[in-house]
Amino acid sequence: MAEFLALGNWLLPLLYLALLVDYGATFFLRTRAHGREPWLLLVVAAHAALLAGRGWHEGRPPLTDTREILSVLALATAAVYAWIEFASGDRRTGVFVLLLAFLFQYTSSILLAGREMEVPAVSAGAAGVWYRLHVVPALVAYVAVAFAGVYGMLYLAASRSLRRHRFGVLFDRLPPLDRLGPMAWHALLTAFVSMTLAIAVAPLLFGGGGNEMTAKVVGKIVTGSAAWLVCAAAVLGRWVGKWGPSRISAIAVAGFVAVMALLVVSGLLS
Amino acid sequence: MPELSVIGASHRTAPVEVRERLALAPGQVSALLAAMHAEKVFDEALVLSTCNRTELYVVPRAQADPLACFLDHVGRIRGAPPETPPGTFYRHDDTEAVRHVLRVAASLDSQIVGEHEILGQVKEAYRLAVEARTAGFLLNRLLHRAFRAGKRVRTETDLGRGSASVASAAVELATHVFSDLAGKTVLVVGAGRTAETAARALLGCGATNLIVANRTLDRARQLADAIARGPAEPVCGEDVSCPGADDDQPATCPALVAEAADEMRAEGGLPADAPQAAVHEVTAEAVGLDDLPAAVARADLVITSTSAAEPVLTHAALAPTLRRRRGALLLIDIAVPRDVDQRLGKLDNVYLYNIDDLDRLVARNLQRRRQEIPKAEAIVEDEVEEFARWLASRGVTPTIRLLQKRLEGIQQAQIARYGRRFAEADREQLEVFTRALCSQILHKPLALLKGLSADGSTSERLATADLIRRLFDLDSLDEEAGRDGHTPRQP
Repeated sequence: MAEFLALGNWLLPLLYLALLVDYGATFFLRTRAHGREPWLLLVVAAHAALLAGRGWHEGRPPLTDTREILSVLALATAAVYAWIEFASGDRRTGVFVLLLAFLFQYTSSILLAGREMEVPAVSAGAAGVWYRLHVVPALVAYVAVAFAGVYGMLYLAASRSLRRHRFGVLFDRLPPLDRLGPMAWHALLTAFVSMTLAIAVAPLLFGGGGNEMTAKVVGKIVTGSAAWLVCAAAVLGRWVGKWGPSRISAIAVAGFVAVMALLVVSGLLS
Repeated sequence: MPELSVIGASHRTAPVEVRERLALAPGQVSALLAAMHAEKVFDEALVLSTCNRTELYVVPRAQADPLACFLDHVGRIRGAPPETPPGTFYRHDDTEAVRHVLRVAASLDSQIVGEHEILGQVKEAYRLAVEARTAGFLLNRLLHRAFRAGKRVRTETDLGRGSASVASAAVELATHVFSDLAGKTVLVVGAGRTAETAARALLGCGATNLIVANRTLDRARQLADAIARGPAEPVCGEDVSCPGADDDQPATCPALVAEAADEMRAEGGLPADAPQAAVHEVTAEAVGLDDLPAAVARADLVITSTSAAEPVLTHAALAPTLRRRRGALLLIDIAVPRDVDQRLGKLDNVYLYNIDDLDRLVARNLQRRRQEIPKAEAIVEDEVEEFARWLASRGVTPTIRLLQKRLEGIQQAQIARYGRRFAEADREQLEVFTRALCSQILHKPLALLKGLSADGSTSERLATADLIRRLFDLDSLDEEAGRDGHTPRQP
């Protein structure tokens, strides 16, 4: 089983890379721009099976550290994108989202390599309901922040190309502005709701005393708070300040970059 | 005598003043086909008449002069024979005629290469010929091959991609800002012809609300009513279609709207004499220029084409309103001098284009279309070859050869199966008997085919050969021969 998990750990980035090439061809060569194909679902299923296998093998949910969380983020990103693609039938933005999934999984695989045989001790907290109520919304929030960042960036790129009257690749290939803008906004809204829930549950999980303020915990608190602040600023700006999609997209991109940087730093420090 | 001919005049050979003398409305085409049919000038015929070409596709009969007959009938319809300078008409026969119709349907022979309307016009011409019962076996096959070639070119190449006129460039820009034009409001400022065409195209592609602003309210009302009533007669050279239709996505192009309306008429859902109208509801409104700021605030797309010397949409009047809006605003200024203050284009969520931008987009698209021509020509050649192979296979000689082979095969198989039940001495008699039986069976079909070959019409000969091939499954024999190293003949 351990050998199988190690093999899967190396295969997953390759599968995402293959998807990336395929979706890159769709974007740059305009091949199969509108279609629902099974390959993405197969990769998502394989990834989910691998994570489930690791959880079963190690007797705990694979969510204990940044390395594992990155892999779950990759899976969630690909799965949410697969749903979007299935709903819209439009695979033109896939290359950007799957680039993210690939980077998450590649980083995770690199970090996970060499620790396959080490099974960390399962804390009582990691098995509890509160833990899941904290971790799952937090993961959803991070995935949503990633989506907001990607679609915000695409909105800004499309808007810039239209504003400057550049009839090039971006003009030809990107979906219309009124599809990209709402994607970024809805992703930020989802992130805000999920992160609020995760933060609300956190004191119940960690407030019982006995938890040391390690660099890992501090990193999580800082990253989560930063993500929540970004989302809250966007929600407030949209509802109170009547911000348009350009400003919301700019916030989404800035927030995504900041949150990812904090995630990486906190991962390195822990 | 050729099996198929095309005789016609197009933008390549005839100036507009000659083409307009030859152009025929659908009712005139039907009448002309019926009259020519009665005179037995051809076995089959189809007339394609658009603003850029009038062509007669015929399966001719011996000694007939289809062109003279055609001109005679056009003269009767017009009241006087049309004057046509030398060199007006071209004629292609057999494979060249096949190549020509496929190139026409693929929009390779159009004035604007890759324009979308021609395939619909070829389909309409075919429909008229079917109704007049002048499309027979050969034209049926040929036209379906032409539709196939047109569709392949459209889906396998970028020949029809991108806008090719200012009006369709406006539609293309709109689809980069809005994913769906349904529910969108189009504001037309001024009464320019191009703005009107662009507005019609946007409504045809799904926009549902129209506001027309003009210096005089009466003129604005007239224009609003005219645009909302539905697509006008197509303007020659105006290729207005919805981008996205070639991306396998549903689109409500004017041509498709017309097609849907035709279908509704056929099903009794629309009265036959109902005016052409957009399938979706369009609300139309007219305002004066004083109400322009309020109208812009409600609009999603604005097309301006006034002859005013100063900007009509000023920064001072509109900036406060536009800063408050959430949705995108597409401003298309096709007036010279320009109608829109350039500073408005710097506002968040406002996308401003002038006539030069649209021209640049059109030029880029046309350049791309030109680059796609070799790919499209290759597809046409591929289809021409297939059709030529199919046509050759329906000849009398190959059909007779295959029919004899089929019967010979049956005879040999049965002798192999039952021969052992006969005494050695009787086997020779058995062979003679079965061969005679097969000859008797073959006698009538062969006589029929030979007779048709000598003095039958092309259509009848082809149809009979096709029927015999299907009855005796001769195409499978042909394929076997192809696999054995002979030239395959595909149906």
